[in-house]
Amino acid sequence: MPYEFEEILETIRMTQVEHFDIRTVTLGINLRDCADRDVNVISQKIYDKITRIARNHVKIAQEIEQRFGIAIANKRIAVTPVSIPFDNLKKDEFIKIAETLDRAAEAVGVDYIGGFGALVQKGFTNGEKELILAIPEALAKTKRVCSSVNVASTKAGINMDAINLMSHQIKETARLTAKDGSIGCAKLVVFCNVPEDNPFVAGAFHGVSEAEASINVGISGPGVVLQAIREAGRVDLGQLSEIIKKTAFKITRAGELIGRKVAELLGVEFGIVDISLAPTPAEGDSVADILEAMGLESVGAPGTTAALALLNDSVKKGGLMASSYVGGLSGAFIPVSEDAGMIRAVQKGHLSLEKLEAMTCVCSVGLDMIAVPGDTPEETIAGIIADECAIGVINDKTTAVRIIPAFGKKVGDMVEYGGLLGSAPIMPVRNISSKEFVLRGGRIPAPVRSLTN
Amino acid sequence: MNISEQKIREITIEVLKEFGEDISPEKLREEVYNRIQRQIEKPSMTQNSMDSGRVIITSYGINKPGVVSKISTILAQNNCDIQDITQKILQEFFTMIMIVDISSSPLSFKELHDLLARAAEEMNIKIMVQHEDVFRTMHRI
Repeated sequence: MPYEFEEILETIRMTQVEHFDIRTVTLGINLRDCADRDVNVISQKIYDKITRIARNHVKIAQEIEQRFGIAIANKRIAVTPVSIPFDNLKKDEFIKIAETLDRAAEAVGVDYIGGFGALVQKGFTNGEKELILAIPEALAKTKRVCSSVNVASTKAGINMDAINLMSHQIKETARLTAKDGSIGCAKLVVFCNVPEDNPFVAGAFHGVSEAEASINVGISGPGVVLQAIREAGRVDLGQLSEIIKKTAFKITRAGELIGRKVAELLGVEFGIVDISLAPTPAEGDSVADILEAMGLESVGAPGTTAALALLNDSVKKGGLMASSYVGGLSGAFIPVSEDAGMIRAVQKGHLSLEKLEAMTCVCSVGLDMIAVPGDTPEETIAGIIADECAIGVINDKTTAVRIIPAFGKKVGDMVEYGGLLGSAPIMPVRNISSKEFVLRGGRIPAPVRSLTN
Repeated sequence: MNISEQKIREITIEVLKEFGEDISPEKLREEVYNRIQRQIEKPSMTQNSMDSGRVIITSYGINKPGVVSKISTILAQNNCDIQDITQKILQEFFTMIMIVDISSSPLSFKELHDLLARAAEEMNIKIMVQHEDVFRTMHRI
């Protein structure tokens, strides 16, 4: 037999028992050719283009799913940041575009569509400002549209004015979607050094340097890594890294295979595999559980950042060997509401916002799906975003903030979102003011690190 | 699926040949449009788009007489060639793995998959059908 009995059973165990799945197959679509003076014409062009290119996206993904026996959890779409081709539009017109995206996503059967965003790390164009003003209403009026705004980069520095504006918009989004636990904020991310080919919503968009259409794949397998670590028993940290690498290698290979097949059948380019460990609220599919299996009593204990760094680095090393094109965010995600282990740690008081911030220095993104009291001042949120941006800018890495100032909620409450978004315990935020600092505004200059030429 | 201009040209020429040069522009447009739609809709999943025509069938469950025979009969009836087979029984629990070439079978992957899924339900066991590529990419460099 060309394969060992155990090898075949290993693959089956990964998919059937340990929740290994392809987290997302995201079809990126360029919208730059949909520009026009008239918003109605633009809407029609956008709708026609998305439904034309993506009409078989879900069907083909399902075929591939069945063929290889590996579930593809999400089929999604990312488009060009809409502020770019439609810079001439005004706030209300951008809301109309969001509604069009929502309709198009519904028509082709995808649950989320990313790209209602702007890249303003150095400054705003008129259109970008209008788009940002439109975000709260756009997210409140739509179900599927996700928004991301890049406010800082290593090359440009940190646009504090953009951070202040975004903090205000986050609070506004929370208010407008108050009756659903401020769910609008779960669809809104503020980025630093945003990658242009990230397949994961809410931050997914189709970057300006991308091809006409492309498929990017996000793999996921915290459960598989967890099982491998548990089976390994008491080995030293070097050996632990080796075990994680081998596991990451296998799941990345499967991810690349699936991405290539979907791209081939859709007749679009294959972009990248994003080798991230993305947890879900399901039991055993948790990044926190991995860190605890490494020997920590709970996430949040001293040593957590080191353990996460080891995990993240090993996943990357294993994944890099397995795929020719690795991109996107590639690393471990540490969202709170989407990870049962993280929720547990927060509820027990083991994990604070500050510890999470430290962890974001070594993980793939940043403060993700964190619910804070609804009365958290917007200047405090701006301070939190600025801190994350500083980590990203100085270390030349992607960081992001997806924070939910849950309207009317207090520390100790829970917000339930259901599905992959999970449920978020409201975390305490330090009650000391950042106001005078953040309201200085302006742009924090790019660091020495940016001068690499 | 994207249709290149070259492809559209080929389709147009094909239509012209079929209907003759005196076809009306409206009819031509309609005919070309329909054919393009068909191209786009056709889920171009053919055996050739996969690297090999082999699938791996894994079945497991409580052992009972006739399990192997039932599965292999279904395969034989549909012209599927069993190239390798291995089986382990642990107390009353069995696991069987088959490597099967389905390239000359009249059934599509999905039809075979559904047929075996029905059989699995009848016998109260689990049967998984997966294309060989997934094992090759995960376990072989």
